[in-house]
Amino acid sequence: MEPKEAFDELKTILVTRLKFDPRRAVDLTLETMLPKGVEDSIGLDSLDFIELSIAIEERFGIVMDESADLAPHFASFDTLSRYIASRTTRA
Amino acid sequence: MRQRVAITGVAVVDERTPDVASWLADEAEARRLSRICQLTVAAGRRALADADLDAQGGLAVLVGTEFGDMVSTISFVDGYLSRGPGGLSALLFPHTVMNTMAATTAIAVSAKDLSLTLSALTVAGELAIARGAAAIRAGRVGACLAGGADEPAPLVMSALGEAGAAPELRAAGAGFVVLEALDGARARGARVLGEIVGAAWRAVPARPHRIGSTASSRAIAAALEEAGGHAAEVGRVYTSANGDGPREEWERALVDAALAPHRPPYQSPSVPAGRHSGLAAQSVASAASEAGDRLALVHAVARGGNQVAIVVRSASRAGATALIP
Amino acid sequence: MKPVAITGLGVVSPFGAGVKAYWEGLSGGVCAIRPITLIDTEGFRCRIAAEVPRPIAGSARRSRADRLALAAAREALDDAGVDRGDREDAAVIVGAVGGGMLEAEAWHWRRMRGSAEPVPRPLASSFPSAHADVIGSTLGLAGPRETVVTACSSGAASLAMATDLISDGVVPLALAGGVDALTRICFMGFNALRLLDPAPCRPFDRDRRGMSIGEGAAFVVLEDGARARARGARVYAELVGYGMTGDAFHVTSPHPEGEGMARAMRIALREAGVAAASVGYANAHGTATPQNDRIEARAMRDVFGEGGLLVSSTKSMIGHTMAAAGTLEAVATVLALVSELVPPTAQLETPDPEIPFDCVPRAAREAAVEFAISNSFGFGGQNVTLLFKRAG
Repeated sequence: MEPKEAFDELKTILVTRLKFDPRRAVDLTLETMLPKGVEDSIGLDSLDFIELSIAIEERFGIVMDESADLAPHFASFDTLSRYIASRTTRA
Repeated sequence: MRQRVAITGVAVVDERTPDVASWLADEAEARRLSRICQLTVAAGRRALADADLDAQGGLAVLVGTEFGDMVSTISFVDGYLSRGPGGLSALLFPHTVMNTMAATTAIAVSAKDLSLTLSALTVAGELAIARGAAAIRAGRVGACLAGGADEPAPLVMSALGEAGAAPELRAAGAGFVVLEALDGARARGARVLGEIVGAAWRAVPARPHRIGSTASSRAIAAALEEAGGHAAEVGRVYTSANGDGPREEWERALVDAALAPHRPPYQSPSVPAGRHSGLAAQSVASAASEAGDRLALVHAVARGGNQVAIVVRSASRAGATALIP
Repeated sequence: MKPVAITGLGVVSPFGAGVKAYWEGLSGGVCAIRPITLIDTEGFRCRIAAEVPRPIAGSARRSRADRLALAAAREALDDAGVDRGDREDAAVIVGAVGGGMLEAEAWHWRRMRGSAEPVPRPLASSFPSAHADVIGSTLGLAGPRETVVTACSSGAASLAMATDLISDGVVPLALAGGVDALTRICFMGFNALRLLDPAPCRPFDRDRRGMSIGEGAAFVVLEDGARARARGARVYAELVGYGMTGDAFHVTSPHPEGEGMARAMRIALREAGVAAASVGYANAHGTATPQNDRIEARAMRDVFGEGGLLVSSTKSMIGHTMAAAGTLEAVATVLALVSELVPPTAQLETPDPEIPFDCVPRAAREAAVEFAISNSFGFGGQNVTLLFKRAG
């Protein structure tokens, strides 16, 4: 899967599972940051990240290693899309 | 030292309230809070605004509820039933615990004192207010939001009906009164709507889901005794009418017996729109504004026997700060 | 706060019915966490919990949770020697979360899979408030009746609320406790939050990976101290103070510095007029999630100082019993005072260097302690600390 494709899926997940306003998803770019407290981010907290992980595992059929530090992958849509692309290609 | 309990604010919101979203702080609250939590947070913020109070000096939150956030709970389990473990929502899970309305409200208004969720059929809101009043009277907390919230989930309502539960009029909504120690309220120059001068809760013998066979009860007498009042002084009664005919009749019998031979007029905020636990706040606030120079009784009793009595008097009679329009 | 006497104990735990079986299990360091039999666990990472073993007393028409609650409530009232006449004024306060949801879920599962089975009558009693109605009606308790839900601290909150009623002179006597049967919602939810260890939980261990779920019920009889002495009741211990606070921080994460937890502990000490140095044992919330144990230890260090007291988590043996946990752990704390024996933290092999306390690994420790606390924390940052004093 290409990062672009993963990004489009992530936008859908943001609306269906994280309950963002669909109009909000339109404005998102790959550069948009994810975690709460970071400038220009969509403000996700720990619980949002768990929800996002479940949704990614369900949608992309990958299993995330909880003991690994996943934070760098969950920094922005860019890092996350690349991570998903790499995991789905490898699988 | 025992404190006097002032009522300094009130708010009730429901599905007809037009501006609920405007009382939510940000995007995260709008997307993360379930509907019942949004109503509760909005009611909490509005009640505090009405009282012109914030949580700086300490604030407790007491929420009464019949069934909690069953809409989210059903949505949570149906995620699993339709899609397996991947369909489970981490965001919905905390809403499956009944304290979610109190917890999200405490977070929203930065209330760091105790936060209690009291669950009961029919009487939950009155019970939370009675508990809040007792906590202030004993000096355990200086101020609290006390009230309730409910949102009838269609599946729960139909299942209860099928299981033989009595039909009731239920609505979605949330409401709070702000209660404060009268000394504290006066010191900050607060507008005082009235006072809770007595509150008591007891069980009348009855089997679960049944009405009791006796008209004698103890909560009303206990609340009047705490108020230093007498049945003859009660000028109005606010009941827990909810469309369950036999229960309403029993409630009238209980109140009649406790106040006999006096027969003050009864009213209820819950008819005809349907009842939710937040309406207890409406009853208490109405009692404070309408009691005049007499006492008002806010009463509720549930099938199974749980009974709550709250005795209220108006600010004018309380000798408290005059009402500011 | 006026001290309140604890004069009766009742328990149904993963060690079976009765206080005796419970204390034998805890003091022996036995882990009761095993593969789940009550519900389908296919497809979940964690498939174990501490279930209450068969048989469970009571009519099969009642929910499992109601049966657990009734058995524990009866034992506590009998233990305290509370007769019929005393019960009329007694309060009943129940901490509950799941109610009869186990049975309601089973019906909903069948219906969603196409069954046309009508709703069984007992399902009208699926909600948490049913326990208090059932206990009150069956055992003849006609004082104040309350059901408190503060998530995982509910069973501790119920004792605090009973203490208020006795302190305020509303009632002379109260039955307070907590109950939860295993439910699918709870099991699935904690799985979804990735908070469950696939193996039995290891509180305070460096390699801990999450909690284990349990189920059970516990009730205690609380009584005005002077009244208890006057009637010659056996007093196990006194509840001399409690603290209830809110983090006002996050729905599922504790405040990172444990501010609300530490405040609950300090309020309990202050209300009782007890110095931190006098407290010898803490029955910790100790869920074994990486976050809870680190933050709870930090809060305890702030209040009691490094190594200031013995700490153990009995959840290592009976799992996290949700609304029952606060009461089950209060009973464990009281029994530790009575028997001068601190129950251990089972499965604790490699103490976490970030936890600056002796967490009593694997074997119970003899220790004569005068004051002990029990900590319970719930979703939404609902913190309760109970402070007990040894009797006599």
